[in-house]
Amino acid sequence: MNDKTQIAERDQEAIARHEGNQPARRMTLTPAVDVFEDSQGITLWADLPGVAKEKLDVKVHDGNLYIEAEAVVPTPAGLRLQHAEIREPRFARAFSLSADFDRSKIFANLQNGVLKLTIPRRDEARPRQIEVQTN
Amino acid sequence: MSDLYSGTDLFSEFDRLQRQMESLFGGLPSSLRSSRFGAFPQINIGTTDDSIEIVAFAPGVDVASFDVAIDKGLLTISGERRPAQSDAGDDTRTYARERFTGTFRRAIELPQNADPDKVQARYANGCLSVSVGKRESSKPKAITVQ
Repeated sequence: MNDKTQIAERDQEAIARHEGNQPARRMTLTPAVDVFEDSQGITLWADLPGVAKEKLDVKVHDGNLYIEAEAVVPTPAGLRLQHAEIREPRFARAFSLSADFDRSKIFANLQNGVLKLTIPRRDEARPRQIEVQTN
Repeated sequence: MSDLYSGTDLFSEFDRLQRQMESLFGGLPSSLRSSRFGAFPQINIGTTDDSIEIVAFAPGVDVASFDVAIDKGLLTISGERRPAQSDAGDDTRTYARERFTGTFRRAIELPQNADPDKVQARYANGCLSVSVGKRESSKPKAITVQ
């Protein structure tokens, strides 16, 4: 065995170790969203078909908003798939949140596979009309 | 459950990109049968020994607006999805509008052995599940060897 093969072997081990430590990254679908903003804050709608409340995870971490969900569609036993346009039951999407928004008052509502997120603006960040007085 | 999906979807990001390209350069001719990109709702089809199972991923549709019909072996699913936020005031800014709105119609060719009298449809969590029974004569049967 010459030096060269030894080096190659060592490299392979390093890759194997690296892969072993890393949890397998799963493929996810990016849900379609609508995002609107008005003076009150942001309203975000996301399509999450087949997702029940228990399988939906909405969280704010390090100034980012994460939406993660898993679809569960009941099917009879012994089903053989013939045609698939949705091939992955997991959804994931992340957004960055600016400091203008009140992260503690985010409201989430899931209905018929559509998530509605209301992200209010901080009171001090809301546009304010200043009344001009005359004497 | 896991049978409804097959492995990983390496192409979903490409699908999204292609959809965006299509909406930018819309109107270019494409195959009559290529309903894969941009179709709403997306559909998965599977079979069991007793039935054909169709799942339409149609979130946010009013149940009353669904029209599911079978005509000469062709199953059609049609309906309308209204925009989530229609009362867009003057001060409302729109940052993203990716979700489908409007009327939709998808057709699925059923196999010969489908029984149009045995159809069940159910809408839950934004998924429309349609189950079409198979005719008795077409079900697999074990033959006893004499």
